[in-house]
Amino acid sequence: MTKDSSNGLHQGVRGYARECKDGKLSRREFLTRATALGVAAPAAYGLLGLAAPQATAQTAQMGGSMRIQMAIKAQRDPRTWDWSELSNVCRGWLEYLVSYERDGTVQPVLLESWEANADATAYTLKIRPGVTWNNGDPFTASDVAHNIERWCDASVEGNSMAGRMSALSEDGKLRDGAVEVVDDLTVQLNLSRPDIAIIVNMTDYPAAVVHPSFTGDDPIAEPIGTGPYRPVSYDTGIGAVIERNPDHTWWNEGNGAYLDRVEFIDLGTDPAAWIAAAEGGEIDLTYQTTGDFIDIFEAIGMPSSQAITANTLAVRFNQESAPYDNVNVRRALQMAVNNALVLELGYNELGVVAENHHVCPIHPEYAELPAPTVDPARAAEMIAEAGLADHEFELISIDDTWQAASCDSVAAQIRGAGINIKRTILPGATFWNDWLNYPFSSTEWAHRPLGVQVLDLAYRSGVAWNESAFSDSEFDTLLDQASGITNADERRDVMKRLQEIMQEEGVAIIPFWRSIYRNLRPNILNAEMHPSFEIRYQHYALS
Amino acid sequence: MLFFLARRIGVMLVTAFCLTFVVFYLTNIPAKLETLAKTQAGSRISDAEVASWLDRNGYNQPMLVRYGEWLGVARGWTHAADDGAQSGRCYILSGTTEPGAAPARCGLIQGYWGNSTRFRAPVSEVIGARLGATGMLMLWVLIVMVPMALVVGVLAGMREGSRTDRTLSTFAIASTATPEYVSGVVFIALLASSTVGLSPLLVSWGWIEGPVLFQGNARSALDNITFWNFALPVMTVALYGMGYVARITRASMTEVMTQQYVRTARLKGVSFPNIVLRHALRNALIAPFTVIMLQIPWLLNGVVIVEVLFSYPGFGWTLFEAAANNDIELLLAASVVAVLVVLITQLISDIGYVYLNPRIRVT
Amino acid sequence: MDPLSWLDILGRLFVQLLPVWVALVALFAVSITFKRRLGLYGKLFDSTVGMIGFALVMFWVFAALFANMILTHDPLAQFSGMRNAAPGLPLRDPAGGYDYFLLGGDALARDVFSRMVVGAREVLRIAPFAAMISFMIGISLGLPAGYIGGKLDTGLTFIANLVLAFPVILLFFLLVAPEIQDTPIPRAMAGILFLMPVLFFTVLLNARFFTQPPKRNLYVGAVLVIGLWAYSGLAFNADPLGIWGMSPNLLNVFVAVVFVNAPTVFRIVRGITLDIKTRDYVSAAQTRGEGPWYIMLWEILPNARGPLIVDFCLRIGYTTILLGTLGFFGLGVAPESPDWGSTINQGRRLLTVYPHAALAPAFALMSLVLGLNLLADGLREESLKD
Repeated sequence: MTKDSSNGLHQGVRGYARECKDGKLSRREFLTRATALGVAAPAAYGLLGLAAPQATAQTAQMGGSMRIQMAIKAQRDPRTWDWSELSNVCRGWLEYLVSYERDGTVQPVLLESWEANADATAYTLKIRPGVTWNNGDPFTASDVAHNIERWCDASVEGNSMAGRMSALSEDGKLRDGAVEVVDDLTVQLNLSRPDIAIIVNMTDYPAAVVHPSFTGDDPIAEPIGTGPYRPVSYDTGIGAVIERNPDHTWWNEGNGAYLDRVEFIDLGTDPAAWIAAAEGGEIDLTYQTTGDFIDIFEAIGMPSSQAITANTLAVRFNQESAPYDNVNVRRALQMAVNNALVLELGYNELGVVAENHHVCPIHPEYAELPAPTVDPARAAEMIAEAGLADHEFELISIDDTWQAASCDSVAAQIRGAGINIKRTILPGATFWNDWLNYPFSSTEWAHRPLGVQVLDLAYRSGVAWNESAFSDSEFDTLLDQASGITNADERRDVMKRLQEIMQEEGVAIIPFWRSIYRNLRPNILNAEMHPSFEIRYQHYALS
Repeated sequence: MLFFLARRIGVMLVTAFCLTFVVFYLTNIPAKLETLAKTQAGSRISDAEVASWLDRNGYNQPMLVRYGEWLGVARGWTHAADDGAQSGRCYILSGTTEPGAAPARCGLIQGYWGNSTRFRAPVSEVIGARLGATGMLMLWVLIVMVPMALVVGVLAGMREGSRTDRTLSTFAIASTATPEYVSGVVFIALLASSTVGLSPLLVSWGWIEGPVLFQGNARSALDNITFWNFALPVMTVALYGMGYVARITRASMTEVMTQQYVRTARLKGVSFPNIVLRHALRNALIAPFTVIMLQIPWLLNGVVIVEVLFSYPGFGWTLFEAAANNDIELLLAASVVAVLVVLITQLISDIGYVYLNPRIRVT
Repeated sequence: MDPLSWLDILGRLFVQLLPVWVALVALFAVSITFKRRLGLYGKLFDSTVGMIGFALVMFWVFAALFANMILTHDPLAQFSGMRNAAPGLPLRDPAGGYDYFLLGGDALARDVFSRMVVGAREVLRIAPFAAMISFMIGISLGLPAGYIGGKLDTGLTFIANLVLAFPVILLFFLLVAPEIQDTPIPRAMAGILFLMPVLFFTVLLNARFFTQPPKRNLYVGAVLVIGLWAYSGLAFNADPLGIWGMSPNLLNVFVAVVFVNAPTVFRIVRGITLDIKTRDYVSAAQTRGEGPWYIMLWEILPNARGPLIVDFCLRIGYTTILLGTLGFFGLGVAPESPDWGSTINQGRRLLTVYPHAALAPAFALMSLVLGLNLLADGLREESLKD
C-alpha cells in the first residue's frame, strides 16, 4: 500500500464517505464499496477519520504447527472449485489478486492497487512489484492476463469464474480487447457493461492465481505458486500436510508464514467426531462449528470466533411446478412460518431474522421493510381456497444438520397451521442432482459482499442458478437499473422495490441470516472466523 | 482334497463375477452417474456440463461394454482432446497422453483395478492401505473377543442352570442386544468426554494428566496404535460380536458335559477342573471355532459402523466413503475383497472343522 | 411451574403407561391360568427367562398399540423454548395439552417420551412384518431345496450364498439410495418377494384340501383374493380401494431388509429339512402316496417349528438393529420419523451434554431386542424339553 490512492479518488467514494458520516451508510457498507472501487483500505478508513485496525501480529511467535479440522475433498482445477475447503489447503502457495476481509474491505494481495473509471466500465490494475513464483519466475502482468483468460473460459465444466467475469467475456471466451497488458506491472480491463462487482469477484475462492504452466486439475502435484508454503501430502478424505517452503522468498516476508507446519485433518461430517478429536487433543481449530456444538467446544476450552454474514437458507418454491405456480399458495406457506421460530429451533438463535427476501441488513443496498405477517389461520384458509386442503406438500432438504433442522422447523410450523406436509432428506451427493427442479426445497446460499450479486445470480429471469424459476420483467429491469446506480439513496429506493417484489411474489421463505462460527484454542492468533470460510494459514500464528 | 479346493475356488470366482456385475449395474444407473459427475466436476453444474463430462470421461457407452472394460475383455474408451493429446481409460491408468502408447485393454485381467474417483488414487493402493488398517483393528478385536467369549461360554456351560450360568448368559444376551452405534456412543460419553462420565472424576482426583482417559477418536491410531486411542473401537466391535460366540460356546459346552465319556470321567473321580480342561474343552470348541470364522465377515458390518464413528480410515470406512460418493471402481474392488473374505473364512472354517473333528472327511 | 423431580417423573410415567400395565397384567393372568392348555406358548410360562423376555416384548407391543392413549404430545410438534429441555421441564405454553416434557425435549424441541412411544409403533410395524415375509420366502424356497435337492438345491443355495457374500452395508447403500427409488428395481423386487407369501398360502391350503374341492376352492379363493389385493397395493401401489399401500421410501427399506434376511432363513430351513426328511414319518407319508408339497408343508414344516420360532424372535431383534443401522448412515426411513434408530442417531451427537434424547430410544431398542432374545432363549429351552 505504497501508493496513496486518495489523489485520484473515485468520485462516488467521497459521496459515500459523507453518507457514512451522516449515518446513512454503515461503516461496513462504506468500506466494501469504497475498496471495491479501488480505494486502499487505510485511505478508506482515513476518509471516515479513523485509523485502519492493525493486525495483532506483535505477539506472534515464529514456528510451531497447527492441526485444523476440515473436509479434504478430491482436488481439481482451482477455477472449478465448488467448496472453499478445496481453496483453503492451497492458500499457502496459490494466492489471490485481492482479498475480502472480515471488516468488509477488499484488500490488495498480488495487486498493489486498482482504480475504476467514473462509470465502472474500465479498471486499471497495478501489479505488486517484486513478487516471484516459487520456481523463480517473476510475477508479471501477463500472468494476470493469463489467469483472467482462464477464468473466462466457459467451456470447462464447472468453471464458476466464467459467470463472475461475464463483463469481460463473449461467447464463453475472453472478449478480444477486454484485457490489455499495458506494461509489465499494469493491466487494463475494459468491461462491456458497468460492473461494480468485478474486483469483489476476484476475492472469491475459485479466483486463485495459478502459474502459466498449470494445466489439468491437480494443483497439489506441481505446487507452483507465489505463497510461502508448499504441500507435503494430500490424502482425500483423510488429511493434508503443508510446510513452510524453505526454497522460496515470499514477497510479504516477515508479515506472516509464522507456522512451520499446518495439518488439515478430515474427520468426516459428524461434529461429535470433531469433539472427540478435540478432547483427545488432536485438533486445534475447526473449519466451521454449528448449533449446540459451539457451546460444547467452548466448554472443553476452545473459545469460538464469530463472523456476521449474509449466509442463509433459501426455502424456495419452484414456480414452474404445481401447486407452487399459484402465488397464493406460496404466500400462504410463507405466512404459516414464523421466521424467528425457525432461527430459534433450526439455528439456535445464532443470527438475525430475515424477511423472505434475499438482501441482508449488512449489505450496502439493504432497505428496511416491515416484518412479514405471520398468520397460520389465514394461511390454512388460503390453502383451502386454492383447493389444496387435502394436498400433501413435500419439503426437500440436504442431510446437513442445521439445514435439515431448519426445514424440520419450517415443516412443523406449516403442519401446525393444519396443512399437510411431509419432509424428505436427501444425502449430499444426491441432493444436487436436481436442486434446480425440486418443487419445494431449501438451498444454502453463501455470503456475498454486495446485495445485487445474489439477486443477479439466483433471481434474474432464466439465469443458470435460478432455482425458484422466478421470472418477472419488472424485477429484471429494476435489477439492471440498480447495478448502474452509484448513489446509495437512489439505489436503496430501487432495492426496496426489488425486495418488496420478492415478498409479494412469495419467491421463498428466507428465515434468517446466520452468523458463522469456528472454535480454536486460545493460543492461536489471527485466525478469526472469515465470512467466506477462508483459512489463511499463512497469517495464523501461535502466541 | 484338491478337487474340493478347486471347486471352492471356482465357486468363488463365479460368485465374485455375479456380485461385481450387480454392483456395477446398481452404480451405473443414469441417476448415479449424474451424481458422480456432480461430485467430480462441481455440485452446481448444468445438465449440459454433466453430459459433456460423462462423454469426456467415457461414461456414455453401453453398460455391458463398460463392464467389459473393467474386466479387461473390451477395449478401453479413448477420447482425443483438441490439442492432439489422447486420453482414455488405458491412457489414464498407464499415465500417458501420447497416442498409441497405452495398451488397448486394461481391466482386471490385465491387472488394472482402476482409479478411485473419491480418492484420486489407484484403487489397489487405496484398498491395500485401508485393508492394513482394518487388519490391525480385526486382529485386536479377535484377540479381545475370542478369549473373552470362550471363557464366558465355558464358565456358563460348565454347570448348566447355575447362578454363574444365568448371570453370564444374561450378560452375553445383553451384549448381542446392544448394537455398535449404541455401545460406541455410550463408551465415548462415559470414558472419552472431559465433561461427563469417568474422565472429569479422574482428573479431579489427579489420576490422569490429560483431560480425558481414552480418546474418542481413533484417527491417531493410523500412525501409532496405543491402548488409549484404540481401546474404544476394539471394545465396541468385540462386545457386540462376543455375545453370539459365547452363547454358541455355552451350548456346545453343555452338550459335551452330558456326554458319556464326561460322565464316566466324573464317576472315575477325576477332578472337575481336570474334566473341563482335559476332556470337555477340545470337543466343546469345535462349534465355536466354525462360528468365529463365520463371524469375521459378519463383523465387517460392525467394523463399518465403528470406523465411521471413530473416524478410523480402514476398509469399512473406505466402503462407506465409496458408497456415499458412488466411487464405482473402488466399490467393485471392495466387493471383490468382501467376497474373498466371506468365502475364504468359510473355507478355513470347513477345513478347520475337519481337522478338529476327525470323524468327518471331506468328500 | 417448577421442573419435576425424578420421583415425580417416574410416577407420572407409570400413570401415563397405565394402559400397558393393565394389558400386561391381564395377559399374564389369563396365560398363567390356562397355560396347560396353550401348548408351546403355555410352556413359556414355566421358564423365568422366557417370561421376562415375553413381558419386555409385550410391554412394547402394548405401548405401540395404545400409543394414542399414552403419548403426551404430538411426536412431530415443536414447542418454543423446549430445545434440549431436561426431563421434567414444564412447557412455556402448554395450550391445554400436557404440562411437562416427561423425558425432556430433543434438539428440535419435540417431546422425547412421545417420540419413544410412537417409535415403538414404527419399529413394530416394520420389523416383525419384514421378518415374517423373510420367513415365508425362506420357507417356500428352503423346503423344496432341502427336500427335492439336485439342481434346484444347487441353484438356490448359490443365489443365497451370493446375497450373503455382500456386505450388508454395501447392499443397503446400493438398494436404499434415493436414486434407486426412481428406478423400477425396488418395485420389481417387491413384485417377486411379496408374491412368495401369496404362493405360500395358496400351495399350503391346496396341498391340504385338494381332496375336498369345495373346501379347497373356498380357502384358496379367499387367500388369492385377499393376497392379490394386498399384493397389488403393497408391491405396485395399485390397490383399487387404496387400503394397502407403502411409500416408495418405506418399500425400498422393506425390500432391502427382506432381501438381506431371507437367504439366512433359507439356509436354516434347508438344513432342518435335510435332517427331517430322513425321519420315519416322512417315509410313511411317502409310502401313503402323499404329494411332495403336502409332505413339505404338512409333515416337515410343523416338525421344524421349534427352531424356526426361536429364530423368528431373534430375527425380529436383528431387523430392529438393522433398521437402526440404516438410520445411523442416514439411509431410508422418513426424516422426521420417530423410529428409534433415527432418533438415536440424531441424539447421539449431543450425548455428552443432553444424554436423554439419545438414551431414551437407545434404552427402548435395547430392552426390546433383549426381550426378544430372552424370549427366544425361553422358547428354545422349553421346546427342547419335549
